[in-house]
Amino acid sequence: MATGFFTDTTLCIGCKACEVACKQWNELPSDGFSFTGNSYDNTSELSGTTWRHVAFIEQTTATEDGVENRWLMSSDVCKHCTNAGCLEACPTGAIIRNEFDSVFIQPDICNGCGYCVVSCPFGVVDLIAKFDPDGSHYNVASLMEERREERQTALQNNGGVAGKCTLCYDRQTLGFTPACAKACPTESIQFGDVEELRERARKRAVTLAGRGVDAQLYGVDDVGGGVGPLNAFFLLTDRPEAYNLPAAPVLPSTRQPAGYTAAALTALGLAVAGWMIFRNA
Amino acid sequence: MLSEFTPDQTVDDRRRPTYYDLPLLKAPHWEWNVVTYLFLGGIMGGLGLIQLLADGRKESERTLKRDARITAFALAAANPAILITHLGRPERFLNMMRIVKFKSPMSLGVWGLVLYSGAAGANMVRELALEGVLPRWLRFIAPGFLTPMQALLGAFTAGYTGVLLSATANPFWGSGKRHIPTASVASGLASACALSSLLCAIEGNTEPLHKLERLEMAAGATELLALVDFRRASGEYGKPFFEGARGKKLRDTTMIAGTLVPMALNLLGSIIKLPKPVDAVRVAVASILTLTGGYVLRESLIEAGKDSARDPRAAFRQPT
Repeated sequence: MATGFFTDTTLCIGCKACEVACKQWNELPSDGFSFTGNSYDNTSELSGTTWRHVAFIEQTTATEDGVENRWLMSSDVCKHCTNAGCLEACPTGAIIRNEFDSVFIQPDICNGCGYCVVSCPFGVVDLIAKFDPDGSHYNVASLMEERREERQTALQNNGGVAGKCTLCYDRQTLGFTPACAKACPTESIQFGDVEELRERARKRAVTLAGRGVDAQLYGVDDVGGGVGPLNAFFLLTDRPEAYNLPAAPVLPSTRQPAGYTAAALTALGLAVAGWMIFRNA
Repeated sequence: MLSEFTPDQTVDDRRRPTYYDLPLLKAPHWEWNVVTYLFLGGIMGGLGLIQLLADGRKESERTLKRDARITAFALAAANPAILITHLGRPERFLNMMRIVKFKSPMSLGVWGLVLYSGAAGANMVRELALEGVLPRWLRFIAPGFLTPMQALLGAFTAGYTGVLLSATANPFWGSGKRHIPTASVASGLASACALSSLLCAIEGNTEPLHKLERLEMAAGATELLALVDFRRASGEYGKPFFEGARGKKLRDTTMIAGTLVPMALNLLGSIIKLPKPVDAVRVAVASILTLTGGYVLRESLIEAGKDSARDPRAAFRQPT
């Protein structure tokens, strides 16, 4: 069965329980703390060790009746694309589509080439920095004490390999809901059969439109550029860019035919030139 | 008492174009080793054509053919080692040998490299057997079809490095989906000619020089045209590459010193007959400039890709 996430941002309260639950379940170390000043968002982005990220957007708009404030929150995650750039680019076959139709990285096969990183049109997947016992990049003390040493070794061994949301593959095989959706107190993150979720999202958008909310669906249908529909989609109340989502993503492999053709024609042209030069005189 | 908050009425937050100007995309984790890999891959590919073109029946071109094949194999052997310095552990290279994936330029490229190594290795053994360095019977290790095969695989290894970059989600690289592969092939061949010319000059084998130089001029002109047209076609997306300090370096090192100056020097060589030692210096200078330009081209491509990834505006609206 294809499973996925429907993240209804109108229900998000910005509690970051999803971020914490994800880190806890997947035993991902803290990436250190930095104060950004960007509303309540000190996480800033998804990374090799951050698989849920709550965006905070504070908007103040002058209207005829005075000032209108709104505060948008949205929990971002790997989109598990129908046509995934990372999966297509992976030269080792480490990135696969599993039985739940999720895009999954097998860490023992990944060789850390970093090609998936530049092939994701959503900027999701990233390399996990090598664990440096003397460095301060990861706060390993943030991990459970009994498992600290084991995880430290795993980070060392997997240092440099790619990491991203697994859609809690391990939990799903046991019939559990992914950690983020389980922890979400408002059901802003909904997990389930992806077709059922798509229906639910469409209905929700209609309901909200009836209440005068400018609700837009992102990824329920084809996002364009060859990427197709997403298995983790969103209901937004502003343009996608406001949430750092691309309005017009492009699947990288769609650029290959033009590239190979250009390379082949150049090579052919220069080979003919070379043949003429070397044949004469 | 609460002080009344008066927002700046001129700013409409709903029209903010980005999310705190944070990058949407992740920047490539590629450093000098990947730059070197792309650069050497281009030369290696170009040498594939040179070893095909060189006429084995002429003594001077025999030497050129032999040098091209030995250098090509040396580069093919060095490249996996360079890639491993990027991957971190040698066995990680082998992970790419478990599948062939037509959708992944990197997968195809690695197989291209492996097959090229095989062809170049066999052709090199043949040369060494003909030279008498290895037992003479070993010359049969390389059947004739391996010569055009090495050229074909060479064209692929030089070209795929361009497709590898341009077929990504990186807006700048994507904007060069035709230009980057074209420039990669042309620059690879120009650098291969330069390296071959340099070896000829060192060995005092001046006869094939004018042919190599004419081919280098053709490749250099193609590269230059590709870059000039790339600037026009890429527009906003090309800014990290063509403007600022990096743009200046590209213009000065790759386009002027690395292409136009060697072209002028090569032209000079074909017009005026210089005394032998002076001519050797001319060839050496032209070759080193071309090679430097080729390296800087790859370096600029990678570095500009990093800057482009950091610009969320470019990533929101990908070039088509």
